[in-house]
Amino acid sequence: MTPGNHPIFRKVIPMKEGLVQDLQEIVGEDAVRDDPADLYVYGSDSSVHCALPWAIVRPGTVEEVQEILRYANSNGIPVVTRGAGSGMSGQAVPIQGGIILDMKRLNKILEISPENTYVRVQAGVVDDDLNRALKPYGFMYPPAPASSRIATIGGEIANNASGTRSVKYGATRDCVLGMKVVMADGSLVNLGSTTRVEASGYQVDRLMVGSEGTLGVIVEATMKIVPIPKYRCMGVACFNELEEAGDTISEIIASGTQPSVLELMDNVAITAVNTAIDLGLPDVEALLFIEADGNVKEAVDYEIERMKEIAEKYNAFGIDISYDAEKRTKLFKGRKKLFASLSRYKEGYSCTSLADDMAVPYSRMAEMARKIHDIADRNDVIMTAYGHCGSGCVHTKILMDPTRKEQWEGARNAVREIYEYVRSVGGTTSAEHGIGLSKAPAWKKEKQDSLEIIGAIKKALDPNNILNPGKLQDAPDDWLTATDLRYKAE
Amino acid sequence: MLTDYLNEWKDELNICIRCGYCFEGCPIFKDGGWELDGARGKVILAYGLLSGELEPTEYVAEKLYQCTYCKDCIEKCSANVSIPDIMTAARADLREAGFTYDSHADLLSKVTESGNIFGKELKGPATEGEVPVLLGCRFLERRDDAERYLEMLRKLGIEPVVIEDEICCGMPFGVLGYKEELAEHKKKFKERFPHQRFICLCTTCAFFISKSYPELEPVYVIDEIHKRLPDADLTELGIKTTYHDPCNVSRGMDMVDEPRDIIDWLGAELVEFPKNAKETECCGGGGGVLVTDKPLSTRLAEKRIRQAGELGVDHLVTLCPTCELNLRNAADSTGTDVEVRNLLDLVCDSVL
Repeated sequence: MTPGNHPIFRKVIPMKEGLVQDLQEIVGEDAVRDDPADLYVYGSDSSVHCALPWAIVRPGTVEEVQEILRYANSNGIPVVTRGAGSGMSGQAVPIQGGIILDMKRLNKILEISPENTYVRVQAGVVDDDLNRALKPYGFMYPPAPASSRIATIGGEIANNASGTRSVKYGATRDCVLGMKVVMADGSLVNLGSTTRVEASGYQVDRLMVGSEGTLGVIVEATMKIVPIPKYRCMGVACFNELEEAGDTISEIIASGTQPSVLELMDNVAITAVNTAIDLGLPDVEALLFIEADGNVKEAVDYEIERMKEIAEKYNAFGIDISYDAEKRTKLFKGRKKLFASLSRYKEGYSCTSLADDMAVPYSRMAEMARKIHDIADRNDVIMTAYGHCGSGCVHTKILMDPTRKEQWEGARNAVREIYEYVRSVGGTTSAEHGIGLSKAPAWKKEKQDSLEIIGAIKKALDPNNILNPGKLQDAPDDWLTATDLRYKAE
Repeated sequence: MLTDYLNEWKDELNICIRCGYCFEGCPIFKDGGWELDGARGKVILAYGLLSGELEPTEYVAEKLYQCTYCKDCIEKCSANVSIPDIMTAARADLREAGFTYDSHADLLSKVTESGNIFGKELKGPATEGEVPVLLGCRFLERRDDAERYLEMLRKLGIEPVVIEDEICCGMPFGVLGYKEELAEHKKKFKERFPHQRFICLCTTCAFFISKSYPELEPVYVIDEIHKRLPDADLTELGIKTTYHDPCNVSRGMDMVDEPRDIIDWLGAELVEFPKNAKETECCGGGGGVLVTDKPLSTRLAEKRIRQAGELGVDHLVTLCPTCELNLRNAADSTGTDVEVRNLLDLVCDSVL
């Protein structure tokens, strides 16, 4: 067997003779690779999916991106744009092969404008790098997804990422002011503006947000930034009943209180994070992380006190409130590491991102949290409830032995049941991780009334269907067989 | 390809969720920029070899040997997957499959034949005392320095016992994937150096022995110096220095404060690297990269020394003799004015 002859490489046959040489003419020899080892690595992200591209290209300029798109469009070659490859739903997995457009070289911060509260960046700028650059100016870029240490701004826009502080500062879409996008035919368009407000007319920039690379390639973005608040006060509240934590969330939001963080962790999540990184969290049924921030200490105290009162109404105990930045950083670090820590919950089990970020109305939060565990029990998998519940997002992960085929069947049933419930209460399939492949079947059911419009938009902007084909509305109806799985089940 | 060694890491390879957090600070990723260069890419390669989806090639081997074992990936991994151990297993399987390097064979034959990484007849300054001290190959070769360090220890109240013919701790066998040879070498090491608890002058020996010889209790010399220095008569050095945390000290042995305390007690002004302590950047000298891919090793060292140059310091002090060597060479090749020294030398300057 020669390298790359394993069945997983079966689709890796360049559609066009001389593909690599053609790409090298555009970007130079060192910026293109097609060794089976590179294809294998770029064939997966943080999802369960795996499918290999034909070549990987790392453009260094916007003009190169344009040229690549012109070439791919003329030759009908799929182009899958990739930031950090930290997506959890298979958004960057090239299900139809083609070119991976690795955007990480386009990583310049072009303009920081504190007086106009915006920043202009290339798409490959990493979220944490941006925040490090903004700090001396007293500003921050607020969405704070857990993957901010590697996630690129382009990828965050394409997936409409959000995070721990989205309950107050919004998701990525709330920060987008404008962007430059290379369209499927290679043309470069300016969308949006640099101003906070923009009235009527199609908000095409917003259309790009969450489009997962299916409508264009974002190469530059103008994003809203906010001043770093002077005071941040964080608290942790313990609960003996998961539902009581859920009811607390619902009432905090309905009361008009303004948390800057409102996060839930159930016992599975607490155990996992304590096991993996020894965070020393209390071993209780559920924890709520609450935070308020602002420039007036009394106002921050007031918000925290109101949240504390509501939590106590629902039998919270051991509420630990602190302005200590070091303590807060440690907790945040632990929270940001939770996703991977879940793989340490039970020996032989792995943490898979399936049905992992639905949103439900606040009043259903408590019921949702309990439902997750009921569904897991029925299907012989372990699930957890945690997440940015203050913004309506409930995270779950399916913990299972990925080497056993029957576990995947259980996971498939659990995913189906969860989404049936989410739809039944008016929730939505994905709050922040995106649709990609693994959530596409449920998303298509949720959006069935608008699929025709969505398809028409795609057709209008990408008539040759080269941009991340086979995703969202065009994704297969069974996520489990959509691609090879990255795990080998027996 | 047989993957007996990787098979031991099968569960860990499934525990990895491929989140990618491990490539945030990966020095090889920062140097190359391709995902295959980074820690996640290498873990995926290892998975491919284990699953049989990926055939071993010279290119795959080259990539799996481009890891300095700096342990930043372990620090960043939320699931605590020990990526360097997976690299070692992959290297061992690749070696079994015939992917070998002349530079590795040359280094290891030196260790086997002469007992040290230099292939020279090196004798330790045999002393009689109370506390066994292991010098390590690099300090064995720098005999004058080693004797000065031993004198400094005496001044601090430790009477060292050093044997004349100590041999390498076996680290090169470990990181280059020579597992069976390492097992043999460990027996020889323990025969030659029959102490259970002893002081290591060398950072790498201290870390490697603590990890690979669970029955032994190496004490890193800086731990002892840190305990004793407050009671010693010290001469203030009055230098302005930065401190490069060797990965084996900060991330490997969890020693971040001790070297900084010592620098402070010696009366040196410390200017920190932007990336320091457990976030320290790699000197490029570890994981066998120094022998496998010298240009890569040099690039990483030059990057670090340039960072020191931007801090406006006159010295860069470190602890690991391999960091010291690689950074000193980089200081020469980049023409920086920053003088690279070992913290042990500064302690000697102050104490002796």
